[in-house]
Amino acid sequence: MEDKIYRNSLNYIPVDVAKGIDRATGASVNADDLDPNYERMQKCMHCKNFTLNKEKIGLGICTMMGKEHLAYPDMVAITCEGYDEK
Amino acid sequence: MAKSFKEMLAESGQELEFQSGGKAPDKLTPRENIWESHPRIEKLKEIYMDSLSSTNNEFPYWYTREYFQNDNEIPVIRRAKALKTAFSHLTPLIYPGELMTMRKGSFFRASFPMPWLSEGFYMANESSFYKEALKRGSASVDEHSTMGAGGGNVPKSFGKVMSIAGKFGMRQEEIPVLLELAKKWEGKSVDDLGNKYEQMVPDYDVKEAIMRSVVCMFDSGFTLPQGREVANYYFPLEYGFEGIKKIAREKKNEVAGKADGDGMVGMNRLYNYEAVIIAIEGIQKWINNYAEHALWLANREKDATQKKEYEAMAERLLWIENNQPRTFIEAFQMIETIHLAIVNEDAISGLSPGRIGQVLYPWFEQDMAAGRITEDEVLELLEQDRLIKTSIDCFASVGVVGGVLSGNTFNTTSIGGVNKHGQTAVNALEYLVLKAGGTNAMPQPTLALHYDETMPADFLSLAADVIKTGSGYPAFMNNDVAQEFLINHYGHEGMTVEESRAWSIGGCLETSPCCWKPLHLNGKEYSIPGGAGQPTSVGVHFIAMPKVLELVLFNGVDKRSGIKVFEPHNKKFETYEELVEQFKAYWSKAVDVLALTNNIQHDVWRKINMGIFHSLTKPDCLESGHLINELGYRYNATFNVESAGNVTCINTLAALKKLVYDDKKYTFGEMVDAIENNFGFKTAHEIGKFSLMDQEKKDDATKKYDKMHFDCLNAPKYGNDDLYADEILLDWENWFCAHSETVESLYGEPMYSCQISVSTHGAMGSATLATFDGRLQGTTFADGSLSAYPGTDKNGPVALMNSATIWDHSMSQNSQLNIKIHPSAIQGPEGSKKLLELIKAYMRKGGFHIQFNVVDSKVLKDAQANPQNYRDLMVRVAGFTQYWVEIGKQVQDELIARTEYESV
Ligand code: SF4
Repeated sequence: MEDKIYRNSLNYIPVDVAKGIDRATGASVNADDLDPNYERMQKCMHCKNFTLNKEKIGLGICTMMGKEHLAYPDMVAITCEGYDEK
Repeated sequence: MAKSFKEMLAESGQELEFQSGGKAPDKLTPRENIWESHPRIEKLKEIYMDSLSSTNNEFPYWYTREYFQNDNEIPVIRRAKALKTAFSHLTPLIYPGELMTMRKGSFFRASFPMPWLSEGFYMANESSFYKEALKRGSASVDEHSTMGAGGGNVPKSFGKVMSIAGKFGMRQEEIPVLLELAKKWEGKSVDDLGNKYEQMVPDYDVKEAIMRSVVCMFDSGFTLPQGREVANYYFPLEYGFEGIKKIAREKKNEVAGKADGDGMVGMNRLYNYEAVIIAIEGIQKWINNYAEHALWLANREKDATQKKEYEAMAERLLWIENNQPRTFIEAFQMIETIHLAIVNEDAISGLSPGRIGQVLYPWFEQDMAAGRITEDEVLELLEQDRLIKTSIDCFASVGVVGGVLSGNTFNTTSIGGVNKHGQTAVNALEYLVLKAGGTNAMPQPTLALHYDETMPADFLSLAADVIKTGSGYPAFMNNDVAQEFLINHYGHEGMTVEESRAWSIGGCLETSPCCWKPLHLNGKEYSIPGGAGQPTSVGVHFIAMPKVLELVLFNGVDKRSGIKVFEPHNKKFETYEELVEQFKAYWSKAVDVLALTNNIQHDVWRKINMGIFHSLTKPDCLESGHLINELGYRYNATFNVESAGNVTCINTLAALKKLVYDDKKYTFGEMVDAIENNFGFKTAHEIGKFSLMDQEKKDDATKKYDKMHFDCLNAPKYGNDDLYADEILLDWENWFCAHSETVESLYGEPMYSCQISVSTHGAMGSATLATFDGRLQGTTFADGSLSAYPGTDKNGPVALMNSATIWDHSMSQNSQLNIKIHPSAIQGPEGSKKLLELIKAYMRKGGFHIQFNVVDSKVLKDAQANPQNYRDLMVRVAGFTQYWVEIGKQVQDELIARTEYESV
């Protein structure tokens, strides 16, 4: 299930690790609150090249270009040239 | 109830007054000047004030991923590729209302770990490597360092946010990858590799003992390998990034396969130029990502004005991605970008922008003449610059960030000084730089005013007005003294009188070598100053003089921890001279072993972690094809020996000389016994207070030490124009400055003395027993290197200045004198005049640095009790200004205790 929270949303301007700004309303919001105007942000967790590690929480594998690399689901992938949305 | 030191003093009829020259008014006195910034800056500042220091793994993830894919590459190329990939993947973040943009990472106050430098301090407990790191001496200082618990610090974990090093917040979701990345660098980081090889130094065990007993504050090779230097923005400003790449490509063709008489590193020039091109491509992509993001924002924006601003921002970024800037705002954006790129490339504290009012002047002059910009618009940009610089955090351990830096990263801007021809360099833009320091009073950039006799009077008046905002800046630095130091120390590397005039403050108050470069804009040539020297944050870091003296008293053993630090001397010290000789012998031993081990750390750093982007900006790397690690910088003799606790140590020697050797009132043994028993007091750690006045007697204490303690307090003290103490200072300075020049850095260059305290007087005082000046165990030392110990400068500021200038300050990279003045003492234009006369008098006597905290001590006490009411209160700590709430308790207590001058 996709967490439709601010810190996973393009409608969010992060200020720090705990809070940010709702782009649509300009309000200060908590990073973990549900975003009523949620817009999926590119993150490794949504990428076809990403496989979650079932044993180790918070880790996974990126198989971009056939090679295996350590990866983590929460990483923002806006600048990743290999991002391929699931 | 145990008696406090203050009560004891009162009972005995003795005084240690913290007010001098009168009595402060009873009610809280606010600062005289309160200025406001532009509305858009106020808005952005509100975000800053409410933001936490935040960190994530984006940069280290991409750096590590790329680095380990290139394990067959030449080290400089491998690093360049890793940097390029990391910069290319930083997520852009732009806030509404910003005129200039780009930041370290994707938070307002972003920073990130660099496990390739050091990974031990934040690794999981289960790692054996982590345990090993804790056993190392460098972990000891963390126990004595405190981080301010307020402001943007994250002292404790909360919700899904984990606290790292008591300052940085990281999302819980990122901790697994943080540790995974760190593990990849186990045994490969500069810290680990350096430690492997430094152990080969014959006296390595002495170094370990020195670090564990906090005789020295921290290693420099893997903590902050660069910094306290002046940035140079010239090459991108003159040629644009594409122009630099073109030069590098042409140079590659010239040098490929040629040694040109240099069989050692001549061939490296090819790889270095290739690395320069790769690194620039990373920076260009980073800029481009921001431009794309600005366009994305413009497309979604409904507000027409904001939309236009995003579009204009994108246009500027796309231009400076490749070209020489055309306008003032483009040039300003360019230097912000370069600055952030340099502090992202390596762990750096104290990258000073230098004399930006002179660097940016060509665009200012031409835009003003063409009516493209107004002074008010320039002021607004300068205000935003202060926000950008204050937001720069540096990720390092608690000992480094809290104990040494108090969270500050010392991006000091210099103003004034002289031009190439020796005339005042003050220009119309510099008035605005200075004014912005008052209209947007934030800790950074701290302003350093290079004083010389030709400086315009109205510029000095403006400086006084800014000081009265309570900003703690500008600090006054003596231009002539700095030039003399530079010519003496860097003469053999080609420093001339003309070039010495380009100098600037690097870090908080480090005199740094710079040079002039010819900047061409629309057919006109300007001469602009910029950094040309290596970091000065390197070498032997902060040796606590009182602690070395303590080791003399206890035959080489650290009494607090029981660690044997130095070989026993087994001397009885029949004479004072014998004692001083032993002090110098232990000092020399400490400097020797720390220089050798730090040289190895830096040598490892230069082999695998050399600055590439930073190097290309510094003359003469681009010309020579050699980067920092191959002596590509014009000035390389920048490593230094740093002392701490200068005045506390001088006062201690004075008391010992007086009471044991001259008056023979007590025996040496009796005095040492009193120190061992902390004059019958509890330790500062037991009661959690660090200023002398607040110390408490042990519950079962007798009066055994009281008389001796009072005699120690009444012994001659530095800061009173009393030759008894001042000549001890003179003797020390003459010896210390000359001795430092005998120490050799890894670059084969002589070191020199550096005398600033930063915040080490708190952490190092914490690890030091009582001292014969009457100071008690665990309390702070006097700050700076020439500030009087709180309450001991009883004869007023002129006497203090006479004491401070007994020695020749041009023998040292710096000296540091901070004075606390009650706002009422310099009230109105008459007060400003008096303040400036005081400063000029000190400069004429040959003092190098003076600065003022214009604050009512009662305000500081109230701020300690009610920090929630003082989020924006700033104070001058040592060579820098910081938010009160972000400073640790030790230093807060010391600031409250400093002598407050009620008149000048
Ligand atoms: S290709 Fe990029 S976005 Fe996709 S998993 Fe790999 S790193 Fe993440």
